[in-house]
Amino acid sequence: MTMAVVPSSTVEHGPARAWHSFRSMLYWHLASLRIWMMTLAAVQVLSGVGFVLGISLFFKHIPTSAALFVSTGVPVINLVMVGLILGPQLVADQRSNGSYEYLRSMPVSRSVNAAAWYTVCLIGGVPPMFVSLVVAWLRYNVPLHLSAMIIPAIVLTSFAATMLGYALAHAISQPMATRLITQMLVFVIFGYAPVLFPMRQMPRWLGTVNWWFPFRHMATVTRAALTSGPSPGLVTSYIVLGAWSVLCAGLALRALGRRP
Amino acid sequence: MIPSSLRSGPGYWVASLGCMLRFEYGRIRQWVPMMVVIQTMMGAGMALMYGFFYPHITPARALYITTGAPTLALIPLGFVMLPGSVGSEKMEGTFDYIWSLPAPRSAQATATFLLYSLIGLPGTALALLVAMWRYGAHLAPSPLLVPAALLCALVAIAVGYGMALAISNPLVMNLIANALVFVVLLFSPIVYPASQLPGWLYAAHRVLPFYNMAVVIRAGLTSGLVAHVTTSFLVLIGWTIAGCGATAWVIGRRH
Repeated sequence: MTMAVVPSSTVEHGPARAWHSFRSMLYWHLASLRIWMMTLAAVQVLSGVGFVLGISLFFKHIPTSAALFVSTGVPVINLVMVGLILGPQLVADQRSNGSYEYLRSMPVSRSVNAAAWYTVCLIGGVPPMFVSLVVAWLRYNVPLHLSAMIIPAIVLTSFAATMLGYALAHAISQPMATRLITQMLVFVIFGYAPVLFPMRQMPRWLGTVNWWFPFRHMATVTRAALTSGPSPGLVTSYIVLGAWSVLCAGLALRALGRRP
Repeated sequence: MIPSSLRSGPGYWVASLGCMLRFEYGRIRQWVPMMVVIQTMMGAGMALMYGFFYPHITPARALYITTGAPTLALIPLGFVMLPGSVGSEKMEGTFDYIWSLPAPRSAQATATFLLYSLIGLPGTALALLVAMWRYGAHLAPSPLLVPAALLCALVAIAVGYGMALAISNPLVMNLIANALVFVVLLFSPIVYPASQLPGWLYAAHRVLPFYNMAVVIRAGLTSGLVAHVTTSFLVLIGWTIAGCGATAWVIGRRH
């Protein structure tokens, strides 16, 4: 009777292995984003600083409340830009040119890869967010009030956006559909979700629809951490964002775990 | 032995134009409904969206946003969709194939211009209707609207096509188109009065096409709201000539 051939190496796992994979994937993502740097910088500057400065042209004299809303809404857009918009388009490109399957074949666990990508989204989102805040403060002298709640707000807003983008990128196999949806999302975030303006300025039914989507809640938690004063529905917003994160992470990881 | 002589002359040009119109229409026929829908969504969607940014929509604001909607619908068609389609033609190789057809290149370009102008008009009109319904603005259309709308469609397409041809890298073109739309939609006095701009920005917009497009369309839809309409018409004609000139320069060269 012959013995079955056992591969010489054992399956590697454990925290050290996960940490090693995490670092490798982080370098990998950062290096592959290198050619996108120009686009990323242009998008972040235009959507952040551009919007902060441009909004004042809409008014003869911009009201303080409008300036405050834009100043605290633009950081949300900066935060979600990489994970929600750029990420899915990147994956759509990988699917089109064939490198997607290659990346999936790498011996790294799905959750470690997701964690590395989330870190990249934080790196790409947090500095522009603060640049926009500083520009807004210099331009309008708005009464910003940074509290410690900014840390959970950033962590959860970015996580929910990244996981939503991750689900769009991996659970939808048509690159064209992914591109279309992300372009529509840009439109929605800028104009059809109460991120850059108060909800009372849009029709009531649209506000109700927005309750079910994460963008309104991202704005609520970020705005609460940047301004003083009451922010009703803050706990609900954290819960809704958490639910979206878990749902999208589940969808994405299930899609990644399926064999093609 | 090749029986034909070199074909030329006005008759041949017109016949080529007819053939190219049929050829181009056949190629984009399946995309036409989608293009009209996207364009309406952009124009009407932008017009609705601008309203959300204002705490109170005064009648003057409503009038400005409504009369800006057609311009908002034309700009994405000429400056994004047309360059995008030229970009994908270049990547697929269709672009070179069309150039190899035995039709004058000027007839080919004219066919594209005519076709896109025609496709652009329904979406533009729909965007205006949606904005009118939303804001209930009272308009006073005049016959000036017809040449104004046609010239605006033509200028957007001529400049967009000229840019798409003159810039050979599709990725660079894509980046420019997207940045342009963002800058135009935010920093151009299309849905708000130009008096709200700083002086230098207003001076820049008086020579750029976007503000002048809004002026001539607004002049056709209202009475007494805008001044210096003739200047705007002249600037737009100048840009159309420049766009056609860039097109002519590129198609007149050999590879």
